[in-house]
Amino acid sequence: MLAWLFNGIRLPLLLGAAALIAYALFWAGPYDLRVLTICGIYALLVLGFQFVFGHAGAVSLAQATFFGIGGYITGILATRFGFPFLATFPLSIAGPALLAVIVAVPVLKLEDHYFSLATLGIGLVVLLLAIQWSDVTGGTNGLAGIPAIELPGLTISDRRSVLWFVWAIVTIGCLIAYQVTRGLHGQAYHLMRENLEAASSLGLNIAELRFGAFVLSAAYGGAAGALMAHVIHVVSPENLDLALMVTCLTMTVIGGRTRIAGAILGATLIVYLREWFRVLENYYMIAYGTAALAVLIMAPYGLVGALERLRALLFGPSQARTPIAVSSRIPSAQQKPPSTAAGPEPLLAVDGVALAFGGVKALDGVGLSCRQGEIVGLIGPNGSGKTTLLNVISGLAACQHGSVTFLGRDITNAPAYAIARLGISRTFQHIHLVDDLSALDNIAVARAGIDAGGLLRAIGTIGRDRALDAARQIAFASAERLGIAEVAMEPCGRLPYGTRRRVEVARALATAPRLLLLDEPAAGLNEHEQKDLASRIRSFAAEGITVLVVEHNLVFLAALAERLICLDRGKVIAAGLPEAVRKEPAVIEAYLGLEADATELSLAAPS
Amino acid sequence: MTLLQLAINGVALGAAYALIALGFVFIVNATGAVNFAHGDLVMAGGYVAVGLGAMAPLPMIVLLPVVAAIMFVVGVVVSLVAYFPLINRPPSTVFISTLLIGIVLQNVFLVLFGPQAHAAPPLIQSGILHAGPVAISIQALGTVVVAGVLIALQYLIFAHTQIGRRLRATAQDRQMAQAIGIRVHAVIAATFGAGTALAGVAGMLLANQFFVYPTGGIPLSVYAYIAVVVGGWGSIAGAVVGAMMISLFEVVVSAYVSYAVATGLLYLALLLVFFFRPQGIFGELVRRRV
Repeated sequence: MLAWLFNGIRLPLLLGAAALIAYALFWAGPYDLRVLTICGIYALLVLGFQFVFGHAGAVSLAQATFFGIGGYITGILATRFGFPFLATFPLSIAGPALLAVIVAVPVLKLEDHYFSLATLGIGLVVLLLAIQWSDVTGGTNGLAGIPAIELPGLTISDRRSVLWFVWAIVTIGCLIAYQVTRGLHGQAYHLMRENLEAASSLGLNIAELRFGAFVLSAAYGGAAGALMAHVIHVVSPENLDLALMVTCLTMTVIGGRTRIAGAILGATLIVYLREWFRVLENYYMIAYGTAALAVLIMAPYGLVGALERLRALLFGPSQARTPIAVSSRIPSAQQKPPSTAAGPEPLLAVDGVALAFGGVKALDGVGLSCRQGEIVGLIGPNGSGKTTLLNVISGLAACQHGSVTFLGRDITNAPAYAIARLGISRTFQHIHLVDDLSALDNIAVARAGIDAGGLLRAIGTIGRDRALDAARQIAFASAERLGIAEVAMEPCGRLPYGTRRRVEVARALATAPRLLLLDEPAAGLNEHEQKDLASRIRSFAAEGITVLVVEHNLVFLAALAERLICLDRGKVIAAGLPEAVRKEPAVIEAYLGLEADATELSLAAPS
Repeated sequence: MTLLQLAINGVALGAAYALIALGFVFIVNATGAVNFAHGDLVMAGGYVAVGLGAMAPLPMIVLLPVVAAIMFVVGVVVSLVAYFPLINRPPSTVFISTLLIGIVLQNVFLVLFGPQAHAAPPLIQSGILHAGPVAISIQALGTVVVAGVLIALQYLIFAHTQIGRRLRATAQDRQMAQAIGIRVHAVIAATFGAGTALAGVAGMLLANQFFVYPTGGIPLSVYAYIAVVVGGWGSIAGAVVGAMMISLFEVVVSAYVSYAVATGLLYLALLLVFFFRPQGIFGELVRRRV
């Protein structure tokens, strides 16, 4: 219990919360009670915004819109139809969530800046509607006379009760947010916002994750807007304009975009800053903007992140999490045993694949196939299309002609996550790991697409997240197979380059793939590390995992690959046994230019 | 009003919008980031013109280089405060920092000039020229000419000078540009300066007919953003075309229906573009690498 208290920054956060509660209980006057209530409402808004902006990593500019819609639904239903709180509140949550579901289909496909602009456009259309449709919305003046919160047999109207009621809802919001992010599902968000390609090639369905985050954020926004309408008894277009959106964004950035404590801290601080700076009058917004900018620059993870770093600086890093129980039975990476009847059907067949970027033919009719359990090396000079081919196979790039067949199924241009779930997993030429997660959790994330279940399962999980425990066990087994078990609890950012490469291979292995695509796995490794890696890769193949390795390093490949395929300018120019391919004149020419001989090629291999 | 008259008004407004969008796309290309303070920098140009006009009663065409120079410096300062400290962070961080710069600017305007609208002096003089059924103000004509000259100038600089080649190289691949000895940071700062100078000149041109006020920049940021998305992310010609399309749409629809409806329909049109062509009407020029 004591250890739990001293872990991370829990102690200062709890003390801060206790101080705030004591202040609200014993010293706060009516005005302070109102201000603290507003803090709670904004905290709820920011908690919701953290899902889409913090966890899913998409800058939505529609959060204020959801807030406003929630407020208007409450306002219209309560003042015009006399609906009770128990009807208006759920409807105020459902309305924005429904809008989010409707717009999600076109909007969530969009990348970064398009997504931001599209959500901004939606917000501005709703704002115009609120102003123009004055018969229903009251136009620029909005709707006044929204009643206090009424539960059956209980009217919550005095400021202290309103405060407790709002903060009770905030607490529920915090619990749901905690549920969503604490387990394997939360880890999936972590990888996704750091690197979309890595996430989808590990089987994470980005669209589904984003959809969940977006709808949740809308629901929180609606709840906050409804509460605000009851507290200040008015809704007006100000409830959904850009200024409110900027406030919400600022609170999130200042508090910390992924931490629950950050939402509360950011909201409380900004609301109070406004109160304190009011004496500055017009200069207040200048001071406020400047302060927010300073925090943005100096504390990348917000004030909560800065506190965590300060603690690490003063007292050293938090103790590593409880060592995991390694199951006595190390889960085999291979789920299905290698089929004994190795039929004539190849595991992977690429046929006539072509892909051009503008006028450049990156791939020009490439065909190859891999049998189960073999190690195939893919070589070729820079720009010959090796990585592009891996991208096409793993679904990260769409080919314009040709087909890719895996396990007898056509997977041409299928979504990357679906291909990954069929049993193809890969590593990247440039390492794509999450630096502030431990090596173990970096690997464990590989199970999220397969085992985590959806958002609702995450919210409904009681006690330990067994999916996360199981994923960590598999991850640990995977780490052992790559010889990095001792450093598994270290944050990836602190590991040396060669180890990080192995973490990536371990992560690919943890998905239990049938086919492993390795993009220059030996790059930057010393000779000893290369030999070690080669023997480990051979052991995967011995279990029936097929390995396709892109490599420049022919010495490394010679000891590893059973067959070599050489690409040049998007075409296969040679394929066959390593010795034969290396002596092929076309290959020598592609690598070294004319009139070079084969011995030069094997010597030219970088080491 | 006849459709021809509306088209002429639309082109005059579009010329100013084109300068704004051009400055915006410069910064997008150099940094990969959206500068959400861009509209506020347009207003800043307008306010500089208002201030200069009060100090020196000269036609604006004379003061134009001064406005451009001041705004160039402002742009470099914005890059030093809101871009360079965040250079290694995701582009969304720069989006937020420029949004905050925008808030600071809006309130600086409020403190210095008050909430009311101001008009800058005209480019040459006020007055309206008549040609048959159409009328065009001298200011509108001047706006078209100034914008045309500046757009042609930027084309010449980009296509035919060493500085232009450095700018393009930096936009295309920053690491490679650095590797061949281009001082990338200086180029980026200069791009911020040039983009802001264009925004400032546009503000100066708009401030005579359409006034400047503290929050007037917000829709302009959005318009520039839309123009660049519609025209194809990163395309300079596309940004100009996109800006023209927006102004024609705005002028024609507001004449027949109302300004509010025009704005609403513009955003709806944008959402439809996203729905049917997520890569913009003219396609995307800047592609990301896997």
